[in-house]
Amino acid sequence: MTDQPVDVEPGGENVAGEAPAEEPESVTDDAVVHDDVELERTIGLVGGLAIGIGTMIGAGIFVFPGLAAANAGLAATLSFAIGGLIALLVALPTSELATAMPRSGGGYYFISRGMGTAYGAIVGLGLWLGLMFASAFYLVGLGHYASAVFAELNVALPFSPVIGIGLLFGAALTALSIGGTENTAKIQNVVVGVLLVVLTGFLSYGVLDAVGVFGGGTVPEQFFSKGYLPVLTTAALVFTSYLGFAQVATVAGEIKQPGRNLPLAMVGSVLIVTVFYVVTIFVATSAFGADRLGEFGETAMVEVARDFLGLPGAVAILGAGLLATFSSANASILSASRAVYALSRDALLPRKASEVNLRYGTPHVALLSAGGPILVLVATGRVELLAEVASFLHLIMYGLMCIALIVLRRRNPEWYSPSYQVPGYPVVPVVGALASFGLIVFMQPASIGIGIVVMLASYLWYRYYAGDVTLKGDI
Amino acid sequence: MTDRPSILVPLRVLEGESVPEGVPELLAHAHVVLLGYHVIPEQTAPGQARMQFEDRATERLDDYEEMFEEAGATVERRLVFTHDGQKTIDRMIAEHDCMAVLVPNATGPVEDVLVPVRGAIGVDRLARVVASVFGEMDADVTLYHVADEDTTDDDIQTLLGGMTDRLVEFGMDPSTIETRIDRDQDPLDAIADIADSFDTVVMGETDPSLATFVFGMPADQIAERFLGPVFVVQREPAPEDE
Repeated sequence: MTDQPVDVEPGGENVAGEAPAEEPESVTDDAVVHDDVELERTIGLVGGLAIGIGTMIGAGIFVFPGLAAANAGLAATLSFAIGGLIALLVALPTSELATAMPRSGGGYYFISRGMGTAYGAIVGLGLWLGLMFASAFYLVGLGHYASAVFAELNVALPFSPVIGIGLLFGAALTALSIGGTENTAKIQNVVVGVLLVVLTGFLSYGVLDAVGVFGGGTVPEQFFSKGYLPVLTTAALVFTSYLGFAQVATVAGEIKQPGRNLPLAMVGSVLIVTVFYVVTIFVATSAFGADRLGEFGETAMVEVARDFLGLPGAVAILGAGLLATFSSANASILSASRAVYALSRDALLPRKASEVNLRYGTPHVALLSAGGPILVLVATGRVELLAEVASFLHLIMYGLMCIALIVLRRRNPEWYSPSYQVPGYPVVPVVGALASFGLIVFMQPASIGIGIVVMLASYLWYRYYAGDVTLKGDI
Repeated sequence: MTDRPSILVPLRVLEGESVPEGVPELLAHAHVVLLGYHVIPEQTAPGQARMQFEDRATERLDDYEEMFEEAGATVERRLVFTHDGQKTIDRMIAEHDCMAVLVPNATGPVEDVLVPVRGAIGVDRLARVVASVFGEMDADVTLYHVADEDTTDDDIQTLLGGMTDRLVEFGMDPSTIETRIDRDQDPLDAIADIADSFDTVVMGETDPSLATFVFGMPADQIAERFLGPVFVVQREPAPEDE
């Protein structure tokens, strides 16, 4: 068992006179140890992978294929590959940081300890809000799938139920996470397992069909049918599909054997979903051609399944889509609540925000402060905008994590001893940072604007509320 | 280092589980590993629960520690916030090399101890726990075996006789040891039935199998039906592969 000392001493206090909570004495493979108290690590490798994959798979496969194909044509395959590559470039440095600091809070924790409170506050508050945008995006996607169920049943509604259903599920999820004491992690593992099985079967059939085994074959289409630039703007749009691996880091404090499991869970989940995404887009565009696929919008995958396997296929993919978007939204709400806890632990938010209620033992304030704004965002119903703002805020964090790694490596403080080291230093983190910031350029101006406003507001909040708090490690 | 056996006493310290009556006296001659733990739902980070509940939990553990020490036990204590109580208990057993886990239920003064002996495996640890916990008390120990059809009387005598010898070897008075044998009954029901006339039960853990997976460990089932304190003697820890 490795016994890693932690030598970061936060100080100062916020406007309300609260100081950051003390850091633990040491972290072991099985627990985080404070003087007399231990916090048990209970999530294994499978649980970690399920968090990563469960968060990611909802978006890339079930919401984006139609939208991406409409924007970039067949080259949307390349857009997803670019997104996966960037995610991998960030996941590797994140793994190193996470094994050096296996504590709850993920990217926020690494950046606040590596680069100081100001950066930490921008990233931490940004992460919390970014997760809200992401959850709202998943919920709207869920709304589209649920509406497709009504369409399938030939129930004609006088209005579009997408937003209403999104709101309903958003409220239900929040209530469930406050009042539910069921074993949600086990359910998540099963859901992810079922999804992967359904998708593997479906995609295998699709690939065989696309290459002509079943006699169908497809008309070869021009790869860059929309030009080259849309490939990059689409990559920026669909990057929301890769936000999950960092969620593994937000529960880093609860992962067993973090030195081994954190890198495997993060890098593994990125690799797995990238393969699934690329194959999905390939299959989907082969079945219909990019233009027709684009016309189907958010639930294009249902039509693809219907084309291959008839009604049973459509039903299977509808069910899978509901499960996947639901699990993504759920995972994001829980991560948002963890982010609030990390911020309030460090006195960047009121201590009250991470209060646990006595009846259920759940952090109701944190969950409500995630769930409430999510409903407002769902009500806008703007899938692409929600996705891009979520990506923007995460990409800022990703870029800064890469920089934090470089800062820590150069100063090499005594407490920084990661058990996993990023390969190809310094090239990988430098390219990771450049790629993260670079991708932002290709977003819509509105998304960039909202993202910058969120960052500014976060910074101002930090100056007002917690200007005296120091979190940076002794470097 | 003490030659007292380490007995783990897990308490859900924030859910009103306290040290039941009679338990400190029961463990007066043991080395108590007092585990206060609190199981939190997955939505909550363990650190979050700690920020709020640490003081209260520590206060209670202070009281409990005092109770055990006053009764004569040596005490070590741990406080753990966890999502998975069983994992925490297993880790504590391993880290403190605990011979047995006590399912803490209330009891009066202990006069009669029931020791179901299943087979020759693990008899040594069972005897060590019984001898050191009850050796210096004025308690009668009954070794109990439920035999199936194929077992001859000789086999049973060898088993229980061996166990008696060990207990004596560990310093127990042979006159306090009785044996009792039943045949052709469901062992679990038989133990649960007979346990009613005893104050406490000491029994070995069984190897995990499909049946234990479906129905739970026999020791746990007995504990549920018996309502008195049950010592679950742990299997020999597997040699650690480093």
